[in-house]
Amino acid sequence: MNLRFDRYGSIAFALIGAFFITQSQYISTSAYGSQVGPNLFPLGLGLLLVVLSLRLFWETFQSKYRSDSKAEAGLMYKRFFTILAATLLYVLLLEMIGYVIATALFLYATFLVMGSKSQLKSLVVSLAFSVGVYVVYVQLLKGTLPGLPAWLSV
Amino acid sequence: MSALHYLADGFLIAFQWQNLIYAFIGVLIGTAVGVLPGIGPMSGVALLMPVTASLTAGLPPEMAAASALILLSGVYYGAMYGGSTTSILLNTPGESSSVVTTLDGYQLARQGRAGAALSIAAIGSFVAGIVALIALVFLADPLSDMALQFGPAEYFSLMLLGLCAVSGLGGKSMTKALMMTVLGLLLATIGIDNVSGVARFTYDIPDLYQGLEFLTIAVGLFALGEVFKTILERDQSAQEIIKVGRILPSKQDLKESAAPIARGSLLGFFIGVLPGAGATLASFFSYILEKKWSKHPERFGKGEIAGVAAPESANNAASGGAMIPLLTLGIPGSGTTAILMGALLMYNVQPGPLLFSDHPQIAWGLIASMFIGNLMLLVLNMPLVKIFAKIIETPPHFLLPMIIAISVFGVYAVQISTFDLILLVLCGLAGYFLNKNDFPLAPLVLGLVLGPMIENNMRRALTTSNGDFTIFYTKPLSALFLVCALAWLVVPLVMKRRGKTVVINEEA
Repeated sequence: MNLRFDRYGSIAFALIGAFFITQSQYISTSAYGSQVGPNLFPLGLGLLLVVLSLRLFWETFQSKYRSDSKAEAGLMYKRFFTILAATLLYVLLLEMIGYVIATALFLYATFLVMGSKSQLKSLVVSLAFSVGVYVVYVQLLKGTLPGLPAWLSV
Repeated sequence: MSALHYLADGFLIAFQWQNLIYAFIGVLIGTAVGVLPGIGPMSGVALLMPVTASLTAGLPPEMAAASALILLSGVYYGAMYGGSTTSILLNTPGESSSVVTTLDGYQLARQGRAGAALSIAAIGSFVAGIVALIALVFLADPLSDMALQFGPAEYFSLMLLGLCAVSGLGGKSMTKALMMTVLGLLLATIGIDNVSGVARFTYDIPDLYQGLEFLTIAVGLFALGEVFKTILERDQSAQEIIKVGRILPSKQDLKESAAPIARGSLLGFFIGVLPGAGATLASFFSYILEKKWSKHPERFGKGEIAGVAAPESANNAASGGAMIPLLTLGIPGSGTTAILMGALLMYNVQPGPLLFSDHPQIAWGLIASMFIGNLMLLVLNMPLVKIFAKIIETPPHFLLPMIIAISVFGVYAVQISTFDLILLVLCGLAGYFLNKNDFPLAPLVLGLVLGPMIENNMRRALTTSNGDFTIFYTKPLSALFLVCALAWLVVPLVMKRRGKTVVINEEA
């Protein structure tokens, strides 16, 4: 367990709970024909979350709270953040440049980042996947995916 | 004999050609999911849920729901078969319920008996699957009849029991598990309130009025979370895979594993029916039990065939048993069944006692297809196990980006919104960090699925009692459920205080 994550995490969760408590004040307290309004459930749960978070916060100060700080060094942050950025970019550009282009670019880039040796193989796989999915889903199954952008469509 | 009559009708549904294909695809992908380390049954089912939704889009709603469920549950129990393969050949469990199988399975493989171990695991899984299904057939009707007597107060308490059970066994820290449950319930309140029509926590953001989509969150937390974890942590050490060798088990192996398979099936089934205790616990318990009952306990851990047969039967029986509370009561007892329930709800099918009377095609079609699916798995796993062993060698640099792409495709195909895609990535990040720090994810998903129902039932009960909370413990059945719920939370705490180690259920 990571002591620091748990301690700050418990504060974050307590804040989430507090947020739900305060915001549920603005929801009506009764529904037509019932004394129990839509505010009750989130209010109660918010309270519960705050109590549990405080309990976790308290637990992290107990002496027996284990903190096995495993070697964090082995984590491949660079690779991870590159792929995370690529995913975000992919998601944001999907509707703009269309499914086929966005997916092929994303896959090609991430294959290489993940350590694919062959450029050609990566290119073929990424194109096959994106075109394959698009053709099967949109042409055969009549689903909806963003097509090619307007300035490219024929 | 009405159960058998219904079952016959179910087989008519299951034998329709498209459902046979769906069952086959389901078990095939399930086996692959089980074989691949890093994707468990939960992420597998979550990942395929949107894909099946788009595959079945052309069918009429009832048929679509039946077909989708047939495929998804095929993935679920298929993963139980596949998980044994890597445990035996690589000493790496493909999913958490096969952890114990590594103890004896890998030793057997090193002695050159990998084929026998694999086939015994497949046979055990098959027998267990059939045992669980037969029990399901005969318990389904009486249980759903009983559940029809429940009022809102009873339902509320029963769902609370389900949540407490999953939280009580949900991870290393019960506080964290409870926090995750409450967070799941809270997230479920976002959107338009079902009872009064009031918008809650939406802040005029149109995407929030529908509420957070369960599918997006499940795919993000499990599938993307797992991928992020593997990207960050994998050390590229390729292990040598042991040759499979002769596949058919000898007569001696069969004789030695017959009794363990029978015991494992029964034990696994009963553990599976209990909420909160899933396939992982079942396999642990059956291994311990087998070791106790064995005439040669010293041989366990050195390559005893019973040490493979019992836990592999138990985890498959448990996955069958877990379908009982889901289908008859509408209460999922584990993360994977919660996702299956989310899939049912997506098709506007409410699992629970009325499922058997309102949608018999879905309920019985699913049960019948599980018979067929188990048979397919047996056939697939005996001769084709060598091919599946090859899946392990899929280069991760192709696999991981593709899982991200499939997640994005699946969520976009169903939701058609960039908002959900961003939510998906955020959930993936949250899933990774929470899971890494022992915040279990299964309770969160369960809370998210059960949230609207538990709230509806609570408010309906309170409306009938004019806001009087005593209704929950003056009704005898409801009080009983509440006591059980409390016991699930208190008993592990007391046992921990006494210094006993409590076997906890990692995601199953």
